[in-house]
Amino acid sequence: MTITRLRRGVAAYPPLLERIPDPPASLWLRGDADRSVLTDVAVAVVGARACSGYGRSVARTLASGVAEAGAVVVSGLARGIDGEAHRGALAVDGRTVAVLGCGIDRDYPAAHAELARSIVASGGLVVSEYEPGVEPAPWRFPARNRIIAGLAAATVVVEARERSGALITADFALEDGREVLAVPGEITSSLSSGTNGLLRQGATPATCVADVLEAIGLEPRAARTGPADGPASAAVLEALGAGAGTADELARATGLDAGALATALTLLELAGRVTVEEGVVRSTIAR
Amino acid sequence: MLGRAVTFALVGLEPRRVEVEAHLRSGQQPSFSIVGLADRACQEAKHRVRSGVHSALLEWPGQVITVNLAPAALRKEGTGFDLAIALTLLAASGQVPPARLAEHACVGELALDGAIRPVAGVIAAAEGAARSGLERVLCPVGSAPEAALAGIEAIGVRHLRQAVGYLRGDETLEPASPETNGRTPVPMPDLADVRGQERGRRALELAAAGAHNLLLAGPPGTGKTMLARRLPSILPELGPEAALEVTRIHSVAGTLPPGSGLVSTPPFRAPHHGASAAAVVGGGAVPRPGEVSLAHRGVLLLDELPEFPRTVLEALRQPLEDGVVSVARVGGRALFPARFRLVATMNLCPCGGRGDPRIECTCTPARVAAYRDKVSRALLDRFDLVVAMPRPRAAELARAASEASDAVRSRVVDAAGRLERTTPRRVPAASELLDRAVDRLPLSGRGRARVARVARTVAALGASADVLPEHVAEALSYRSPTELAGP
Repeated sequence: MTITRLRRGVAAYPPLLERIPDPPASLWLRGDADRSVLTDVAVAVVGARACSGYGRSVARTLASGVAEAGAVVVSGLARGIDGEAHRGALAVDGRTVAVLGCGIDRDYPAAHAELARSIVASGGLVVSEYEPGVEPAPWRFPARNRIIAGLAAATVVVEARERSGALITADFALEDGREVLAVPGEITSSLSSGTNGLLRQGATPATCVADVLEAIGLEPRAARTGPADGPASAAVLEALGAGAGTADELARATGLDAGALATALTLLELAGRVTVEEGVVRSTIAR
Repeated sequence: MLGRAVTFALVGLEPRRVEVEAHLRSGQQPSFSIVGLADRACQEAKHRVRSGVHSALLEWPGQVITVNLAPAALRKEGTGFDLAIALTLLAASGQVPPARLAEHACVGELALDGAIRPVAGVIAAAEGAARSGLERVLCPVGSAPEAALAGIEAIGVRHLRQAVGYLRGDETLEPASPETNGRTPVPMPDLADVRGQERGRRALELAAAGAHNLLLAGPPGTGKTMLARRLPSILPELGPEAALEVTRIHSVAGTLPPGSGLVSTPPFRAPHHGASAAAVVGGGAVPRPGEVSLAHRGVLLLDELPEFPRTVLEALRQPLEDGVVSVARVGGRALFPARFRLVATMNLCPCGGRGDPRIECTCTPARVAAYRDKVSRALLDRFDLVVAMPRPRAAELARAASEASDAVRSRVVDAAGRLERTTPRRVPAASELLDRAVDRLPLSGRGRARVARVARTVAALGASADVLPEHVAEALSYRSPTELAGP
């Protein structure tokens, strides 16, 4: 585990972070990645730890799209949305940065130690303003959030309750004059009350990858997700146009038997066209 | 005066020959003692044998009686020695011809009225008798069909008086015929009762055909348990070899109903999550087969998997890997076969709300993580098929009845037969797809092997000689999702 310290004032110090009201005096870095990962254009993808299958699916899809377009995905290594954002970037061999709220040598939460290793192994970085050995503490997480917002040109809040930590990140981003996007959710779900609140206050709706890329001035990369091949896949995508569904509902809508449907779903998943969360299938793009 | 008879003690499923010797001598004080590491139940044989002999209107040798169970170092437990002890005494006192008794192995418990009661493990004892060159076994009449399966003449006797009459030659008894047709149609729940759940049914069919372990995960009330309970109804009947193994285990465990012969239906066991590790895996001071062995060649259902103590779940890993449980005790090592299909169900979170669109889950991420952590990754890795079962819409439940078990079973039998004869080979395009999946999906090396195995079963069910890309794709959809490995 290579740990280095990046002091404020050196050339490699991220310029966007330099511009927030209270930039950290030094950043601890874990990993051997090129320092450009901190200076290239980045998008923060954040949200609730207790999230829904919808939130996980959207976080992963948006992060994959952002990473494919060449931007860096920044998040907080927490459970739920944060973890999915990192995974989404890793799934397309993209670069991602995890900002910790504890000492740089700690893996918090412990369940994400493996994820942190993958991030470092695939050209990303784990960063923190705290020296090795510092324990995680509740008050350190808002401070961590200011770094997440500070590193990114735009912040996307995927799912957040009324008083979620992700809203603190959004507030920092607004103070820093960065773009804030929110993913619209069901108005009846408390998991979306925070994000819908952001939209009411004027945040940009993030309804697809292009919305996010537009906010940072990038063009969507020519889709790696090719057109659905075969009539079965096409039928599944057609059925998903009406909204998410379980495998059995899709079988009914498409007339495919369970085996053929399972085949089609895997091929679509490998092509990045659908996600499957807890038995619910979602299209990665609105049709 | 000396009398001898042969019986068998069991170490696990293994019969050990036991010579019962009785010595009578005259003395001032009539007494009766049993030596040779007899346990409590066996010591109490004194009272049963004495009453039995009296009730059978035979003469009790009122002398100093010593009964020895040899080899004296082997622990003897249970009541199956009663008949042998009684007949040895009668031989020593000249009431039955010793030469005739020596041709038989004797197994059975005595009632106070002299009736002979069934005991556990008669088939194993009969096999031991056949192996040690005896031609006949005297056993309780209810256990005779079972004993006859060992390829030995099994003489069923109802009463000590009848046994004595037979040995004296006053009465002829016909040996029981091995009742291969022991299949009493066990009323089994039918798949026709399950409405909708096509994906779950498909996974169940694959589990049956390819002997895969299956994990069903979803909110409560979606029919996980209902589906799991119907797996035995679509399994092929047991072959002769397997049926004998199953019969032996259930006989030793005492779960075989008296009068039954060969068990040819795959067993189904569903221990409660309060069960101890010894009850599930097998063990105890005197090694007994556990639920995993009782489910040998059949189905072990663990309903609400995370509710089982971690010790129990971890103890399961060894039999899942080896197909056999080895219990080491002072008296020796007992091996119990345990090759079973494991079917487990679990909720997606402790409150059960996850995966149900109508309920909002109230669990904190830490609670969900703790719940799922109970099922270790190592155990999760043993499930070839993992299926999430979300709540079906009301419309599904109103649908017409689905395909019945019989129709599914005939497909399963075909596919299982095909897999036994040949191993379908992956075509290059299928291997490419698998490689691409390993690259893009979180799939371990073990996960890859698992997918390859399931793909073979998919191919066999599709009557295909080759594993095609579509078979691999379907198999991939049953991989264990990252979401079960913690949020």
